[in-house]
Amino acid sequence: MRNRFLRNMQMALLVTHKDLLDFWKAKMLVATFMIMPILLMSMFGFMFPRTGASNPFSGQVSTPYENAPIGVVLEDEGSFALQVADQFREVSSSKGLFKVQDFANFESAREQIVAGNIKGVVVIPVGFTKAFTSQRQATVIITVDDTNPQMASIIYGEAASIFKTISARLSASIIAKMDSSIDPSFLSEPISVERKNMIDGTTNTFQFLAPGFIALTAVMGVLAGLGAAMSREREQGTMDGLMVAPVSRYSIVVGKTLAQTVRGMIQGFLILGISMFFFGVKAYGSPLLMVFVMLLGVASFVGIGIIVTSLAAEQETAQMMMMLLQFPMMFLCGIVFPIEQLPHWLQAVGKLLPLYYAADALRKIMVLNASLNQIIRDIIVLVLYSVVTIGIAMPIFRRAMTR
Amino acid sequence: MDERKTVIATHDLTKRFNGFTAVDHVNLEVMRGEIFGFLGPNGAGKTTAIRMLTTLSEPSEGTARVAGYDIRTQADDVRKRIGLVAEKLILYPRLSAVENLMFFGQLYGLNGGRLRQRVDELLRMVRLESFKNMPVGGYSSGMRQRVNIIRGLLHDPDILFMDEPTALLDPQSIQFVHDLIKELNEDGKTIVLTTHIMEEADKLSYTVGIIDHGKIVAVDTPAALKSKHGSESLLEVFLNLTGKELRDSASKNVPMRRVMGRA
Repeated sequence: MRNRFLRNMQMALLVTHKDLLDFWKAKMLVATFMIMPILLMSMFGFMFPRTGASNPFSGQVSTPYENAPIGVVLEDEGSFALQVADQFREVSSSKGLFKVQDFANFESAREQIVAGNIKGVVVIPVGFTKAFTSQRQATVIITVDDTNPQMASIIYGEAASIFKTISARLSASIIAKMDSSIDPSFLSEPISVERKNMIDGTTNTFQFLAPGFIALTAVMGVLAGLGAAMSREREQGTMDGLMVAPVSRYSIVVGKTLAQTVRGMIQGFLILGISMFFFGVKAYGSPLLMVFVMLLGVASFVGIGIIVTSLAAEQETAQMMMMLLQFPMMFLCGIVFPIEQLPHWLQAVGKLLPLYYAADALRKIMVLNASLNQIIRDIIVLVLYSVVTIGIAMPIFRRAMTR
Repeated sequence: MDERKTVIATHDLTKRFNGFTAVDHVNLEVMRGEIFGFLGPNGAGKTTAIRMLTTLSEPSEGTARVAGYDIRTQADDVRKRIGLVAEKLILYPRLSAVENLMFFGQLYGLNGGRLRQRVDELLRMVRLESFKNMPVGGYSSGMRQRVNIIRGLLHDPDILFMDEPTALLDPQSIQFVHDLIKELNEDGKTIVLTTHIMEEADKLSYTVGIIDHGKIVAVDTPAALKSKHGSESLLEVFLNLTGKELRDSASKNVPMRRVMGRA
């Protein structure tokens, strides 16, 4: 019994070694395999605002849309309006947020927004100085380029926050003039908010994206790779050579799965490396636990991979079937967007897929330094998924292979 | 016939695919040490029968004993004693001959120096030792087939199944493969050979079995078959038994001259 198991394992490793050797010999394939995760991360890197991502060479923490061009229109020419506009310029440039350009009126600034030359405009309207001097609230108007809602909200937020800073400075000086015994900040803002992060430093979108992509790549590498590898062996005719040898069918499946797992893990770690080096992602949790979850994620898809492989008569069909699975999973399992953004019924669909749990667990380990106990729900689901799907898949595979 | 000498015996061996019967209650015997020519038109059931005998496909009905073991219940024992030279080459094109052979050798439980020695010996036998480290994808068809043949011989099987081993080869390679088959047979191996080349079957086989529409239509020595049909060539016997019409075609034969004349 034990000897049989050892022999089966030995045969499985032999198949793994052969598959990896075969893969290694295809140089173009290896190159593509390495470039893919780099491309994936870079693309998403430029798509999403890189708040808090540090430059690997200078170490400087970047802000979203550094020095975005913005217009200022002074409709009011009073001294207070000029003073506020100056402060806006000063804070903008000192924080590297905006490059400020002056415009004579709103219309000319709007034209430049439409032309794509500036991202927004700040208008200090007529009556601004008068309102202030008569001790009423003075209002500035901010207009942003609405073609990109994500960018619009960031530009608006940053501009508004600059005015909040200026406003706070003003109120402090006003209060100081009135009664010096009271803390000016108490009067202007009796409650202040402080954000305490669960992790050190600033978090960024990549901290969310990276674990998801790592899980996705590891899983898809196995899913797509297993299907392609199996059908290639069948089309090539080499599957007969494996099946005619006195080797257990399970060894063949295990061996091929292991080879694909190694490939998936390499890509997963490549993504992790790139995210850490270029996109300021930090992995706070235990690397061992990460590997464990990645392996479980892979295992939870092996059964599905084998079923698809058994059903697909040829390589192309297998690959198309896997693509069909992969694409919705990117969105349904919280890889690219948080699953909470989906309608409830779609969230339920996403939660039926094991990738959701693998990504969730990986994210908790990487970002929040979760321990095994804290992700036990994810682990149980993944184990159950693996056992059930592999249990269903093996008889189907046996039948498909001896047709 | 002497029961001890039978190395392959099928009992109502049958295979159905979705209602189509590819192999229909076949009863065949192959004797130890012979070359058995297994003939039949395309789609007659040869490859399906071979796949069942080599444990690659499970029979729908009936069974067979190969090398003394049941193909259904003792598949692993059968596998240890048979070699397969399939029509589709069983070689990884990106790997070299040595890498391919080492891999398959280990699947049969061979390893270390013994395996290496065996691989070298076989490569020398088919005169490929100087190309042994090149990817087999870069070989000529003849070279590839030679590696494919020795791949089936790694574990020194008692019975060798060869499915069209000379298809698409040049005359020199065909001659080489024929000599090799004879040599292996002289060394005591039983060989089941399927081929469409009747001359080849006539020249090499002790016995030929002809299968058509999944059923055995004749089994005898080539000489006996020819004399029974009063014919000079095995090709004539074959066409007498299996008909002259094209297989796998939708309509009855249209005279070729008429088709050509229209052009």
